[in-house]
Amino acid sequence: MMLLRREMTKLFAQKRSYVGWGGLLAVPLLMTLALYLNRNNHHHDNGPGGVISLALHNGLLMPVAAITLLSAFLLPLLASMVGSYQLAGEAETGTIKTWLMHSISRGGVLASKWGIAVIYVTIGLAVVAAGALLAGGLAFGLHAPTLLSGQTVSVAHGLWLSLLGYLYVLAGVICVLSLALLFATFTNSSLTAAIGALVVVIVMNIIGAFSYFDFLKPYLFTSHIDAWQNLLSQPIDWHPIVTGIIAFAIYIAALMAVAWYVFRRKDILV
Amino acid sequence: MTMTQNRTGGQSAAPGGAGAPVVLATYGLTKSFGGTLAVDHLDLTVRRGDVFGFLGPNGAGKTTTIRMIVGLIYPTSGYAVVLDHQVPRDKIEALRHIGGFVEVPAFYANMSARRNLRLMGSLNASVDESRIEEVLDVVGLRERADSKVGDYSHGMKQRLGIANALINKPELVILDEPTSGLDPQGMKDVRELVRELGTGGTTVFLSSHLLHEVEQVCNRAAILNKGRVVVEGPVSELHPEHSSVKLLTSDQDRARQIVAALVGAQHVELDEEYLIVEASDGTVREMVRALVAENVGVDAVIPAREQGLEDYFLGLTQSSDVDMGGDAGVAGGAR
Repeated sequence: MMLLRREMTKLFAQKRSYVGWGGLLAVPLLMTLALYLNRNNHHHDNGPGGVISLALHNGLLMPVAAITLLSAFLLPLLASMVGSYQLAGEAETGTIKTWLMHSISRGGVLASKWGIAVIYVTIGLAVVAAGALLAGGLAFGLHAPTLLSGQTVSVAHGLWLSLLGYLYVLAGVICVLSLALLFATFTNSSLTAAIGALVVVIVMNIIGAFSYFDFLKPYLFTSHIDAWQNLLSQPIDWHPIVTGIIAFAIYIAALMAVAWYVFRRKDILV
Repeated sequence: MTMTQNRTGGQSAAPGGAGAPVVLATYGLTKSFGGTLAVDHLDLTVRRGDVFGFLGPNGAGKTTTIRMIVGLIYPTSGYAVVLDHQVPRDKIEALRHIGGFVEVPAFYANMSARRNLRLMGSLNASVDESRIEEVLDVVGLRERADSKVGDYSHGMKQRLGIANALINKPELVILDEPTSGLDPQGMKDVRELVRELGTGGTTVFLSSHLLHEVEQVCNRAAILNKGRVVVEGPVSELHPEHSSVKLLTSDQDRARQIVAALVGAQHVELDEEYLIVEASDGTVREMVRALVAENVGVDAVIPAREQGLEDYFLGLTQSSDVDMGGDAGVAGGAR
């Protein structure tokens, strides 16, 4: 915990942290603006459907609408950047050696790096949700939401389902940052680690797009990411959600176990 | 020369005396990178109060050794012991007693010096603001303590590295070429500081490729070449057996006869306008007295020892080059 607090000090002192959060915030704002300006001719707009169309008349669903856009690219991008920067970025500046010359364990350092990356993306998701609710509320008002399956539920229940959806996406994003952190134990270049993680995510997405590879799908964490949308149909089909959570947990545990194994005995030569 | 005398004079009673507790020792410490031995069965002993010079040309394995002592890299074989804590096995405990830096001290560029010290200092123990001010004062960074380290010059970062090394009042301070890249005033300040640390009882392990630096600030030293210790011992014993002085007088021929009578003809030679006399410090006085008594005007007596030591150092590190194998001779010839 002591190390995690130190990492927070470092995180909040970095401009790049705010740039990432700012980028995330821009998405719900721009999205709300686009939907608002386009609100009268959405009939012949065959662009975003599904969840996003739900948010068209109800700001309460703007957070879940925003997350469908973000989970495909911007969130994995930020997660790989923050994950890789935690270790490899400090190798680039040489501060990792100053850090490790103290009476702290390598395992503790790795855990705090993972923790701070999780905190970073959690804050990022909170920023998105808050920005989306605020902008959506201003543009369309906050009403009792109508779900994909057609039922209307209470405002409180709508918010609860949104929160669950966010937590699910967070778990998926943690897979990505764990992957980036693992790559950062191999290389001293944060860019290499971040790109490595992104490449894996994109390749997994491509594999998931071909029905030929359907037999692989359950084993790719990327193919579980959208399962949270089941929360927006009543009655909720929990099966894919639970399967996804288990897949994420296995991925995170395995990735971090390997990262720990590598980092524990790594020669710090920067 | 006077500096050396001050140093050995001040500490001669117990220059880390043989009975003082061992603060740092290495046992067969070895590191190979892809089959190349960077450090080869290194055995060192550093005792409390030592200012230990770790001397060697660039690439001798000094930094690799330090990295192993502080647990940044893992030895291929062997280990180090810091105050009864074995590294790498108990490095977390060992590091509690170590302050220092390896190569160029690195800090968080987007934070001020004060904030960096607070952040790093609190990793080993709690650190209060007055201690931060104290170490900033020691290295003369107080006025710039609120500037971002990213805006610091190389010399200032080096000073901050020393401040950070001292912040938890460690028993062992490890400084890797602390004067590299500094201007002459900065070098002087850092050397004075290291000497003061030694006087204050802190054990200092200082790596350097500058012989005169080690001579100025250290009481013990080891000379490292190609990962092996060539010589280890008190700095005074690292010297060639006789130190020498350059002598300039009004009548060099007569002076040569007079001095030869004192120290033996084989210890005097004429080098351009100077007489080079191999003599211990005591005989210099006698020599000058004798010259004056014989009405030979003494214009200059210049210690020539530093140059002698450089030669000695080169001789040591090069002779072990030759020991390395037959093709060393070819390389030497090609040069």
